[in-house]
Amino acid sequence: MKNISNLNISNRTRSVAFNGLLAALALTLSAVELMLPPIPLMPPGAKLGLSNIITMYAASQVGLIPALCIAVIKGLFAGITRGATAMMMSLSGGVLSTFITWALLHLKKNPFGLIGLGVAGALSHNAAQLLVAMLLTTPAVIYYLPFLIIFGVIFGIITGLVLRVIMPLLGKFIIE
Amino acid sequence: MRIMVLKKRDLILILFFLLVGIFLIFLFNYPQQTGIAIVEQNGAEICRFDLQKQNRTEEINVGDKYNVRLKIEPGAISFIHSDCPDQICVKTGKISKPGQAAVCLPAKISVKITGNKKTHDGYTG
Repeated sequence: MKNISNLNISNRTRSVAFNGLLAALALTLSAVELMLPPIPLMPPGAKLGLSNIITMYAASQVGLIPALCIAVIKGLFAGITRGATAMMMSLSGGVLSTFITWALLHLKKNPFGLIGLGVAGALSHNAAQLLVAMLLTTPAVIYYLPFLIIFGVIFGIITGLVLRVIMPLLGKFIIE
Repeated sequence: MRIMVLKKRDLILILFFLLVGIFLIFLFNYPQQTGIAIVEQNGAEICRFDLQKQNRTEEINVGDKYNVRLKIEPGAISFIHSDCPDQICVKTGKISKPGQAAVCLPAKISVKITGNKKTHDGYTG
């Protein structure tokens, strides 16, 4: 099979197409996630964070700016489909977790593996969302914190494992 | 960029946050999910049930003009029958959390749940 990178297209075109593909994947995953039944014990509104897989991938393999753009597109999509509150939540979580993932990866010596990165991303995502929720509603939502931490760890592990599987697949499209 | 799947630090990170989460659960000392159901008729209390301690399902009949049947089960209480015309109380279904209430206006019977500990006004999220 011929890799896309072997085709005769300019790098710029390829990177636009690739980032568009990633953004589309992120949106699809967010949409799929909304169709899943709620998980028992989980605080209302908490989600798996499947689309974090994509922002993490972008942060690690493409770059900070494209990854942040995907997070913002994801937030706008949430705003269009689920309203302003959802947009604030998605944007805050998406942007912070993307940035944290990117920052950890670009420390001198990357301290974490994929699973650790996934956990760090999920936890920062939840932390940002909790802060926004506290500002938008009542400080009482702090009572979700322990559950958000525990589920953040679990879903972060899942994110890391999924990333391990899809990284080589998406890597086939990567442009050098 | 190749990244290892699992490093030793990942495990430390995971364990650390799991412990923090569990610790916080104990620290916050969560208010109980349910409370005491108080049944009132004409505004006067006729009986109460501690739903937390309720460990079997029972049904009781209350009311005089209209016969009303309440079902008390672990953690929840509900009107299961009322002779009243509007059936709003029955449609309310099970109530379980402090602050919730179900009322049968024609029979003048109300069931409300109060926390047996300090609880919060509400949860949002």
